[in-house]
Amino acid sequence: MKNKLGPVLKLEDVAVAYKVRGGEIEAVQNVSFEINRGETHGIVGESGCGKSTVAWAILNFLGANGYVKRGSIKFLGQELVGVTGEELRRLRGDQIAMVYQDPMQALNPSMRLGDQMSEVLTVHQQMEKTKAEKRCIEMLERVYMPDAANVMKRYPHQISGGQQQRVVIAMALLNNPALLIMDEPTTALDVTVEAAVLDLIAELRRDFDTAIMYITHNLGVVARVSTRVGVMYAGEMVERATVEEIYKNPQHPYTQGLIRCVPKLGADKATSMLYPIRGRVPPPNNRPSGCIFGPRCDYVQERCRAERPELRQTEGGSWVRCHFAEEIDPSQWTSSDEVAPPKLDADKQHGDPILELKDLRKYYQVQGSSLKDVIGLGETRYVKAVEGANFSVLQGSTLGIVGESGCGKSTLIKTIIGLEDPTSGEAKFLGVDIANNISSRQQHLIQELQMVFQNPDSTMNPSYTVGQQIGRPMKHFGTVPKNQIRSEVIKLLEAMRLGENYYDRLPRQLSGGEKQRVGIARALASHPDLVLCDEPVSALDVSVQAAILNLLLEIQQEFNTTLIFIAHDLSVVRFFSDQVAVMYLGQFMEIGPAEAIYAPPYHPYSEALLSAVPIPDPTVKQKHIRLKGSVPSAIDPPGGCRFHTRCPRRELLPDGGKICEVETPPWRQVTEDHRIFCHLPLEILSTFDPVISESKEEI
Amino acid sequence: MLVKDYMTRHPIMISPETLATKAQHIMFENKIRHLPVVGDGKRLLGLITRNRLRVPPTDLPSLSVWEISRILSELTVKDVMVKQAELITISQEAVLEEAAKIMIDNKIGCLPVVEDGIVVGILTEVDLLAELSSLLGGGVHGVRVTIRVPDRPGEFVKVTGAIAAQGWGMYSSGGVPSPKVPDYWDMVIKVRDVPQADLVAVLEKIEGQMIVDVREI
Repeated sequence: MKNKLGPVLKLEDVAVAYKVRGGEIEAVQNVSFEINRGETHGIVGESGCGKSTVAWAILNFLGANGYVKRGSIKFLGQELVGVTGEELRRLRGDQIAMVYQDPMQALNPSMRLGDQMSEVLTVHQQMEKTKAEKRCIEMLERVYMPDAANVMKRYPHQISGGQQQRVVIAMALLNNPALLIMDEPTTALDVTVEAAVLDLIAELRRDFDTAIMYITHNLGVVARVSTRVGVMYAGEMVERATVEEIYKNPQHPYTQGLIRCVPKLGADKATSMLYPIRGRVPPPNNRPSGCIFGPRCDYVQERCRAERPELRQTEGGSWVRCHFAEEIDPSQWTSSDEVAPPKLDADKQHGDPILELKDLRKYYQVQGSSLKDVIGLGETRYVKAVEGANFSVLQGSTLGIVGESGCGKSTLIKTIIGLEDPTSGEAKFLGVDIANNISSRQQHLIQELQMVFQNPDSTMNPSYTVGQQIGRPMKHFGTVPKNQIRSEVIKLLEAMRLGENYYDRLPRQLSGGEKQRVGIARALASHPDLVLCDEPVSALDVSVQAAILNLLLEIQQEFNTTLIFIAHDLSVVRFFSDQVAVMYLGQFMEIGPAEAIYAPPYHPYSEALLSAVPIPDPTVKQKHIRLKGSVPSAIDPPGGCRFHTRCPRRELLPDGGKICEVETPPWRQVTEDHRIFCHLPLEILSTFDPVISESKEEI
Repeated sequence: MLVKDYMTRHPIMISPETLATKAQHIMFENKIRHLPVVGDGKRLLGLITRNRLRVPPTDLPSLSVWEISRILSELTVKDVMVKQAELITISQEAVLEEAAKIMIDNKIGCLPVVEDGIVVGILTEVDLLAELSSLLGGGVHGVRVTIRVPDRPGEFVKVTGAIAAQGWGMYSSGGVPSPKVPDYWDMVIKVRDVPQADLVAVLEKIEGQMIVDVREI
């Protein structure tokens, strides 16, 4: 009944082209979908598939050389293609709003938040200043911004990333737009913040009847927010269906492949496997004839090469662009040899501890700004980045570290590798003390301890070729005779599935996934015993992520390498790790075998993290726990248990958890290697229900 | 049951400078009868109805094809719309019966919903009919009974009490003064998952009330 007015947005057979030297490139072809009032339409796909281009086409924001070549985009019954000037400005300001991935780039750093927010109202609606400010405060409260009136007076850099994104969303909603386009709005946020923002989006959609177009690469997020989903591949929409259908009954081989790439929460490497999709997305100027997914499809037949499939409706009601959708049975699927995941030895025994940390601390001194501080009489204050790290890692095993941003994960790793000097405590690697300054560290220890960084772009010298980058550590440590370096590098490149032709390429000629492979190859060049990985797959597409994870598993298997693995994606950590440590504000909260962390008894913080993970399956029921506020400052961390300010389980203790504020909690030993840092006794912790339960339908 | 729960948010709107022919096209294509005219910031300036687009031949200097197309090519929304001064609007916090009364009294088919001069939605007679339909349990299968009760306190509770005593639940109910019968009210109730005969047997026992109509729909 709500839709008697027709869809808010309707795209029909849209093609977007960019004019380039020597012709033009069709970045997007044959995209059709519609969004009704109060509906969220998810658009998923790997990077470079044209998701954002579609969004820009709607806003006519394609730049000087881009234009809509064919098709029609209708917004509230009116054609948008060809609309320019004043009309377009009015539409963008009044009826369509957009939220981008990086909130910091959407906010003006030199204006107070209040000023830039109320500008929306004073400019477009000619509202009075005081009234506009009142509306802004109301809207900030609506998006659950703590202390809204105060936030209005601050500058963007003075609030956290999650809060910035809320300001952007509030700003987008000020004009009560009919259509809200969100382009990866939560990708840069922590899981806990992401969960809160996703809740908010669902609520606002209901209350304001806004039509939302939600672009993301994360299948879990789509499952949580969308009502319908469109899957894009290489500029085409290959499948479109309701969210339940997409996950239960994916029709297109590409959708099936995507779902096989992501680890299910609770899956581990011993019992399940990830299957990357072979090959990669073709560039827009070199698309195959026939079915666009043909070259990567396991079911490809003669007809697929000759004839381009049309988007057609199947009996189940979903739309799919495949000749053989009805005949494909994903349960009969077997991986082709090219992408076969490594065979793991399930009963592998881990060796002796390779790395032992005892009460390792890292404090940073902070300079105060008062006069006393300047002349050196002030009290010295510290950021307690890592507090009392106590654990050991066995040879050949993987330790996963999880926690929100700013909780000291990277600092811990940097302290181990020697980029930071520890403040106190012991760190032994292969029995040798590594807690002292790195300049006095022996050459062979440096060689045995390598690191893979999160952002391969900023860690590679842009003017060195791939071969030089990987060959450098070999030359430096003398692990390989000089005349064999080249062949050794090529061997490594082949192990990374890159091949010899990459030897002379420069970093800028590589895609994100390839760069990360080079980064891993470089870390492995000196045959290290311990590799520290700081979010190595976070910036990558799911299919590349699956390939890299498989690669790391394979290398670990072959060289018996030990890995410490930081990631914010809890399903990846669960899949990949033998041991998992949960950190909060520099303090370890829980440490134990992976399967033990993901099942009761939980630390309350682990429980909250788990309930926030977006799961790529809309039928799974998750407990709804949302942490209030953000991580407190590490300069002045809360006394007692550091988590007490946000702990949802405190009330279970007598006196509303008075003890949590004053006393440091004890380590509770669940099993020999599973410890929980909490005042709550194990008997109570064990009574928590599992966070994730399968839906009843499936039982 | 407030206006804001039943209005259509984000209605299709048009700017005053648009050609009237385009307005006609939009209304025809989207099958709508009312088109709010808004300026910058969705500020309400007027309203186009289908009536407004009927340009009477007497307004034309001649019926020559050329003359007509010349006039149409210059006619903008601003020229034909109901101007703001004559327009009746409603706030989104108003109750539905208030909206209905305004529409009946003025014999109009739609009310733009406005907050501070800005259009937030539109309420049409269809929205009100949808509300009436759901008030009486339209579209839901059950036994629909019309009972005529004397206009005095305590009569309604007799009906609900009798139904509750059987462990049944009433899905919907409504009441109006009986047409043409003074001092009586007609109550319409709908009960689900009950055999019609059983329900009638229970309701017939109530003294002073009379079943006017029973049907299973």
